[in-house]
Amino acid sequence: MKLVSLLAPLGVTGLLLAGCGGGDSSSSPTPPAIAAVDVTPCLNQVVYEGRTVANLVVPDVLQLDMNQPSGFPNGRRLTDPVVDLTLAVLFLDLKSEPVDTLAKLPLDPSSTGVPQLASFPYLAPASGGAPAPGAGAGFAFRTDPPAAYTRVDRMGMPAVATALINGANKTPYNDDNPAIDATGKWVPTIKSDLLALTTPLIGQFRSLGLKTCATGGTGS
Amino acid sequence: MRRRETAAAALIVAALSIGAAGLAFHHKARAADHLDPPARTTGEGADVASDIADIFVWNDASTVKIVMTTAGPQAPGTPPTYDRDVLYQLHIANTGDPTTSQFDINIRYGKDAAGNWGVQFVGIPGASGPVSGPVQTVLADGALVKAEAGLFTDPFFFDLEGFNDTKATGILSITSGRNFFAGKNDTSFVIEFPRSAIENGGKPINVWGETRRITGT
Repeated sequence: MKLVSLLAPLGVTGLLLAGCGGGDSSSSPTPPAIAAVDVTPCLNQVVYEGRTVANLVVPDVLQLDMNQPSGFPNGRRLTDPVVDLTLAVLFLDLKSEPVDTLAKLPLDPSSTGVPQLASFPYLAPASGGAPAPGAGAGFAFRTDPPAAYTRVDRMGMPAVATALINGANKTPYNDDNPAIDATGKWVPTIKSDLLALTTPLIGQFRSLGLKTCATGGTGS
Repeated sequence: MRRRETAAAALIVAALSIGAAGLAFHHKARAADHLDPPARTTGEGADVASDIADIFVWNDASTVKIVMTTAGPQAPGTPPTYDRDVLYQLHIANTGDPTTSQFDINIRYGKDAAGNWGVQFVGIPGASGPVSGPVQTVLADGALVKAEAGLFTDPFFFDLEGFNDTKATGILSITSGRNFFAGKNDTSFVIEFPRSAIENGGKPINVWGETRRITGT
């Protein structure tokens, strides 16, 4: 499904400022005030089994209930459409819009195009030809304890560090851990970055008939 | 309905574009966790080996499978990235408290005297001890513990080109038939072990991963 369309310049998506129309302001009706966008309902909405969006991203871990079917956000399989599912839980009101609303389109590709293996090691062989099986013995591995190493990167849930932690916060976020996440340290940042994503778009979501989890803003 | 779906898809591209601006994209391929944090994993001196791309966790009736992809996405023909000075860690909590792990799996690469690369997995639940051997080879410990490290196709899928085109031109051009990661590879490892080794009264497990580089020599 090829989608080509014109996009209104970003940043001018309906956030009209009252009093900017010029002319005879004394005779013009005063536009109604636009309530500030609030993404708190997005973070508080339940995705599954009582887990809210906030619970899914803080702390930054992947949770798997082995007594329930695997599949993002209950764990993550190789074939799960995590981008489309993540966008849905961040922007849409899940009481009205199913979590797979965007994945069912599908918005993005629905697979790699190369089948994953049904058995171990599950990952598809390297494109362009898999390297030959390794050989050798008596490998020399470091024996230093983990404390002798310095953190470079961390990951739990997909796209949290990349989409909801911005700019100068990225490196310090990657230096933290789930215990620090759980203190709420990064909640204001996540909320602020989600607000920045949502504010220019909320009216457009609504104009398309999609119910948003965020309140306020333009549209109805 | 068709119109709504098309329009919704276009809108999401706009969302991604705005997100990209906020993220100060300076590389084409940041996605799930590829090339993040950018100050360490992109540009001159990038620590490619330590860059986590994705983590996957799922189970079946008898085993748990964990995959960590790293050092990607790379074009076909690019050799795998093995680095003796990097420690890859997977942390698993099974008490319901995601902040404290009960199982820590440490993965390291090393060479033998002939220059062949090997991999070592320490701490796989249910394993009798460290599991090690050549890369690109299925390593086993008993019937249910398996591990392998090597070069594999990147399993992530996302139309990043459409995303970047939209950002650059303002013209939406996303297609579900185009995957930026298609045909690209990551250096990855896969671990499988018995779920009975970590099951704890029906409590969920919580998993996260990290990479660490040796300090000093």
